[in-house]
Amino acid sequence: MTARILDRGYRRYSGERRGVVGAVRTLVLHSVQRALGLRRSAWAKVLPFGTVLLAYVPAIVFVGVVSLFPAREIRDLVLPSYASYFGYVQLLVVLFVAFVAPEILCTDRRTGMLGVYLASPLTRDTYLVAKALATAGVLAFVTIGPPLVMLVAFIIQGEGPDGPGDVALTLARIFGAGLAISVLYTAFSMGLSSLTDRKAFATAGLILFFLMSNVVTGVLVGALGLAENAIVLNIFFLPFALVEKIHGESVRFPDVTTAACVLGALAWTMVWAAVCRSRYAHLQVTR
Amino acid sequence: MSVAAATPVAPVVRAEGVVKHWGRTPALAGATLAISGGVTGLLGANGSGKTTLLGLLLGLHPPDRGRLEVLGLDPTRAGPEVRERVGYSPEHHSLPGDVKAVDFVRHIAELHGLPRREATGRASDVLWQVGLGEERVRPLGTMSTGQRQRVKLAQAIVHDPVLVLLDEPTEGLDPVQRDDMLRLIARIGADFGIHVLLSSHVLDEVERVCDNAVILHAGQVVAAGPLDELRSGGGGVVVEVDGDVRPVVDALRGRGATLHWDGTRLYVSGPQDGPALDVVEVADLVRDVLADLGVAVRRLQPRTLTLEEVFLGAGRTGGQAVEVADPAPQPAVGG
Repeated sequence: MTARILDRGYRRYSGERRGVVGAVRTLVLHSVQRALGLRRSAWAKVLPFGTVLLAYVPAIVFVGVVSLFPAREIRDLVLPSYASYFGYVQLLVVLFVAFVAPEILCTDRRTGMLGVYLASPLTRDTYLVAKALATAGVLAFVTIGPPLVMLVAFIIQGEGPDGPGDVALTLARIFGAGLAISVLYTAFSMGLSSLTDRKAFATAGLILFFLMSNVVTGVLVGALGLAENAIVLNIFFLPFALVEKIHGESVRFPDVTTAACVLGALAWTMVWAAVCRSRYAHLQVTR
Repeated sequence: MSVAAATPVAPVVRAEGVVKHWGRTPALAGATLAISGGVTGLLGANGSGKTTLLGLLLGLHPPDRGRLEVLGLDPTRAGPEVRERVGYSPEHHSLPGDVKAVDFVRHIAELHGLPRREATGRASDVLWQVGLGEERVRPLGTMSTGQRQRVKLAQAIVHDPVLVLLDEPTEGLDPVQRDDMLRLIARIGADFGIHVLLSSHVLDEVERVCDNAVILHAGQVVAAGPLDELRSGGGGVVVEVDGDVRPVVDALRGRGATLHWDGTRLYVSGPQDGPALDVVEVADLVRDVLADLGVAVRRLQPRTLTLEEVFLGAGRTGGQAVEVADPAPQPAVGG
């Protein structure tokens, strides 16, 4: 004789509820998974995983070289500095930025999930905080991870930081620089993505904005002879100039001042964060 | 009658003179209501302010004027606390197509604060409850409209809310799916003990599953209360006689009754001018007339209205809210 379950019944729930903090944590994890294509089709994983992998390739190659070759043969090998490493992967970072925020932000409005989210303990502000944490977290895969691999390469080569204090300073610079890029690009990409609910439009808009700011700054500095500090208007290069200042290097942007970089980054971040917040404050979400 | 409705409780929803504009367009123009629980239908034509009211109850938008209370809390000030105890199923059908139903429902449970393990168990359970047990691992994009409506219902109750707001839950369903959905909604109110506020413009749905109804027109509550009370609002009696109705009509009119008739069936109420008569008094009047005339009677009973008659009797069948300078307070009526 086989038993059959005819009605599983409805269970009441009187256990723990984690409130706003739990909701933010859940949304951050879900958004990171979504941006990386986890729990989705294989096709959805190609772009994020491909981009992240490519961003690590130079660093992994350098680790391989210093690991496989004898020390005497690589003694004179000059590895790229932490800041100049971004010269190899800057385009990938920017492409990743153009992909991540639209995936994280536009999808919710397109699918109507925003209304479902805001019917939870989340408010508009805590929703945006969760989305910003998720975007910055995903971007950190390409802004913090590769320099950490480079640190390994330097240590293997015997050119790494010397002593605990130097290690702490190097790590602080790597994390600080990576966070600076992530935060600035998070605000920018979320601000622009908040203006449309179509991912493709947002991605195209971001790429176009990167190109236009590069062209405009080129004209201002090259043709009109403005000072190098005009690079603060160039959102394609500004974060990487700031990274140089954080690492105390002068490779690609020697004539740009630290103050200009910091003020420019703060201004871009605040303006785009304000755009995003203002846009969401006025959205009607129940339809 | 649901379990929840049978127990006298404080109003789960209370609104007093609520005004809300979208830009310069008024959506609610001084709505006043009190809902005490059970399954309540929120009726109104498109543009009457139903969805706006749901948004305000969730604390998604502040009212321009007036006061709101949900589960004893002001949703404008205590939105997160209110929403933790309220479930919501939106009107739209679009959900993330590449997410499995069980993952989606579990995610919503976690958003409402349930720990991961509990959320996972309850997600499967409620999908069984709504009839999607076997389909729970299917991506939402591969599901029919009826199945997606069930998923929306599942995510609205997965965290065991005190109150669930359903915005047009039968939209896009065929008649069979609609029947199933209505049965489910009735079960949520009766068996699960969750108060339900069902927004709909389909009178028949509300009539079938609801204990109470609130009728919105042009941003104002034009009728509200238990369905039985609303339907008995016509007053008077229905009498069916055996034989010629003309002498009965003349005699009743002679005694001041208001009436109309259809064949041998008469709809009789008290005089339009003069003291109001209750149902018993009208029935006594009819009985006396029939006895005097010696006319046989086949049926004599209190007159009940259909919800459609109540809706039409409320005077308005559609239209958006209109601006009111100072909305007069409307009587708060509860279920």
